Amino acid sequence: MLQDIIKTKTGLFADGVQTVLRGHENRTRRVVLLKGNLVQNSRSEARGINARVNNNGTFGFASIAEYSPEAAEKVLKAATENAIFLGKHSGRNIALPTSIGTGEIPLNCDIKDTEQKVLIEMCQTVDNYIATKYPDLTSRTIVYYEDSQDRIVYTSDAFNGHLVTPRCYLYVVLNAESKEGVPVELFKAFGGFGSFYDNFSKLDEIYPEIDKLYKKLMDKKEGVYAEAGYKTVVLGGMMGGMLAHEAVGHTVEADLVRGGSVAGPSLNKRVASDLVTMVDFAHTYNGGLAPLPVYLDDEGTKAIDDTLIKDGILVGYMNDRESAAEYNMQPTGNARGWTFSDEPIIRMRNTCILPGTNTVDELIASVDDGYYLIDSGNGQADLTGEFMFGVTCGYEIKNGKLGRALLDTTVTGVAFEMLKTVDMVSNEVEWSSSGFCGKKQPMAVGMGGPHMRCKIMIGGR
Amino acid sequence: MDNLRSTADIMDGILKDKKIEKYTYTLSQSEKQELNLENGGFKLLRTVFNNSGSIRVFLGAKMGSVSGNDITEEGLKKLVDDGILAAESASEDPCHDIAPGQGNDVFRQGVYEPDMDKFIERIKELLDVVKNDYPKVKIMSSVGSYDRWTWISRNSNGTEFEDFAGQYHFFVEICASDGEKTTGLDYSGFSCKDLDRPFIEMGDIKRHLEDIQNSIYPETLEGKFEGTVIVTPGCAADFIYMTLSNYIGEGVVIDGTSLWLDKVGEKVADEKLTIALKPYDDRIVMGERGTANGFRSEEVTLIDKGVLKTHWLSLYGANKTGRPVVKNTGSDLIVEPGDKTLDELIASVDKGLILGGFSGGQPGTNGEFSGVAKNSFLIENGKVKCAVTETMVNGNLGEAFRNIRGISKEVLCDGSSVVPYIAIDGIVISGK
Repeated sequence: MLQDIIKTKTGLFADGVQTVLRGHENRTRRVVLLKGNLVQNSRSEARGINARVNNNGTFGFASIAEYSPEAAEKVLKAATENAIFLGKHSGRNIALPTSIGTGEIPLNCDIKDTEQKVLIEMCQTVDNYIATKYPDLTSRTIVYYEDSQDRIVYTSDAFNGHLVTPRCYLYVVLNAESKEGVPVELFKAFGGFGSFYDNFSKLDEIYPEIDKLYKKLMDKKEGVYAEAGYKTVVLGGMMGGMLAHEAVGHTVEADLVRGGSVAGPSLNKRVASDLVTMVDFAHTYNGGLAPLPVYLDDEGTKAIDDTLIKDGILVGYMNDRESAAEYNMQPTGNARGWTFSDEPIIRMRNTCILPGTNTVDELIASVDDGYYLIDSGNGQADLTGEFMFGVTCGYEIKNGKLGRALLDTTVTGVAFEMLKTVDMVSNEVEWSSSGFCGKKQPMAVGMGGPHMRCKIMIGGR
Repeated sequence: MDNLRSTADIMDGILKDKKIEKYTYTLSQSEKQELNLENGGFKLLRTVFNNSGSIRVFLGAKMGSVSGNDITEEGLKKLVDDGILAAESASEDPCHDIAPGQGNDVFRQGVYEPDMDKFIERIKELLDVVKNDYPKVKIMSSVGSYDRWTWISRNSNGTEFEDFAGQYHFFVEICASDGEKTTGLDYSGFSCKDLDRPFIEMGDIKRHLEDIQNSIYPETLEGKFEGTVIVTPGCAADFIYMTLSNYIGEGVVIDGTSLWLDKVGEKVADEKLTIALKPYDDRIVMGERGTANGFRSEEVTLIDKGVLKTHWLSLYGANKTGRPVVKNTGSDLIVEPGDKTLDELIASVDKGLILGGFSGGQPGTNGEFSGVAKNSFLIENGKVKCAVTETMVNGNLGEAFRNIRGISKEVLCDGSSVVPYIAIDGIVISGK
């Protein structure tokens, strides 16, 4: 854990500018077993300090791979010089955002390190379970991945604080082959916020989920290609989360709104059916911890929830301090950097479409001819809200019942059109937090959603 | 930057004290000066001073790998201690190894002292070109960076590589709009050693600007058809890397799921296709010089006139499978050009697409791909007709390599790869 060695340097903050000084450490642990072979066994730690200076809308940023009072002095000086130098070329003269409050955000939790040996043994135990129980698999991969961020933030006119975000995951990838010799694959991630023992003290809870994954893989071995076209589908909760993040979330990040995203002219207009409400949660969901809690961002904004779509109407964007002033909105704590050398940019936190009233069974039973799309490998979207999700696990729905499994496919649509077709929403939310969002820098984010019945374009042969 | 050689000497002393007999390590220092633009104007200047150290420690047949950014003497001691602990924790696997001794070498690439004033002028010059010649195009964000680094790598087999390098890199994220009508995003970028040419002439910046301006009013296709897709160079490079990963990459060869497992020496692609990694090609700005295993990087042909020459295996993968090691882990991709111009390729297509970008899921080991055609244009009867939206393309990577209709004479050189346009038959294209 970082010790606070930079507080004494706040006296060096220059007058007339906004300054943030941040100490930051990232740690990763990684173990990969490929068919029982230990192909990766690695640990890394990187720490440093950075300063960002806002001089009337022109920003200077500097970072050094050293966490010391001397480094703090150097980055403050360099960031100030950068802001002044670039100011000669930028022509920007934007009033500094007004203060949104000051205070101290206390440390939220601890980071507990675990010996590499324990991590390897856990992977080997899970691998042995799979190899013994399912010898017919053509291959299997077990990945343990852990990362943590530890940051101390001091600001000239906002909140100060210390925030840590540890998370760890076990990824299980199973491979099989169809009768025709075509390889098929499925994966599942386990784990979440916290350290190793917070997530993996009871392996017995994982095995039934691996058994279910194997069953789905056997279904997929006999799978069929989806029929390409515009179809009625039930999107699973993981797909709903992907939709919330990729298709809607990015378009309502204020820097992309400023760049011309479809959300610009859509503010206060209907963008979804009235069954759809979407929130970017800061740290708490439904009375418990959100998947990756954020209490303070890297501009010193105290994190609060940000409602983006309310009953189908687009009502807000995600902002940093500058864009919040520009759009006359309240900053909610979305400006974050991934490593000590990264400047804060607008990022999502725990973005979620809220649950409705139907059961999942009711959704499936309501479809005569369509697809149940359960899990996604990845997704992308652009300014127009046109999105793409890879579908790794799904089934046909025929006359309200599940049919054959699907081989890998892709779905696409335009978010603000597709969301208007949502006419049933399930009463529970599925969250995931095991991936990275990419936007100049990586960032750990949570995403969640309910099951939704809607119409969507599906790819196929 | 400090003298890394003396830091490496300290590292050698620590390893000697700890009686580590087998190891490989790399120490590096880097500096970045990065200009960030938003909506066509300069917004942020970012300076990064970074260090890194990484080591692989071998204890008998056990190997552990650690890295960090503290290369003070205390930091190096911790790095070695953590490496020992990681190795002690590992299971035995004699396939982990380092290359035989390669001797000593010093590499120098690129430019070591940046001209930031000229860099800024080149960026401003491009902004003016966009403003005047592409009035509907908006540069949403742009990053121009100068990066300089040095690294030294030593191992217990007596190899020492030292590298000094510096380059400029420029990247733009663009869209176009007319009133409330906006296109999706498009991207372009390049790396270079000097600032001699205007940025509008670099990489394929100009084509991206023209294409995005012509994409404001796309059309939605009806139904589906099997057609020809002319893949643009940037998109073709993505497809090639996906294919190589799926069919000859280390993971699929080790676990035996590669569909090209026994295809070395056999024809796997159309004979017009030759793919190589050429780190010393003049068009590659920063070619790989040494592999993580300790080999001096070499030129390697992966596919020669359609024939698979080798799988793409590291020393570990080679030891594990009994196949040859490839002494190149870089991304210095060179695809040989063809004998047709782009216009000739377009004229030969009855119905299909120019595929500017592919937004799709990572194909599984069976090579099936399915995704959205981004920044793409419909071709009908040999003519480019219109931009398209909500259009999907589906096919199989292996089949696509075999169904190449033609390869263009024109190539994109963006500093990290040299790739032509590739026309592929038999792709399923579907609209709404």
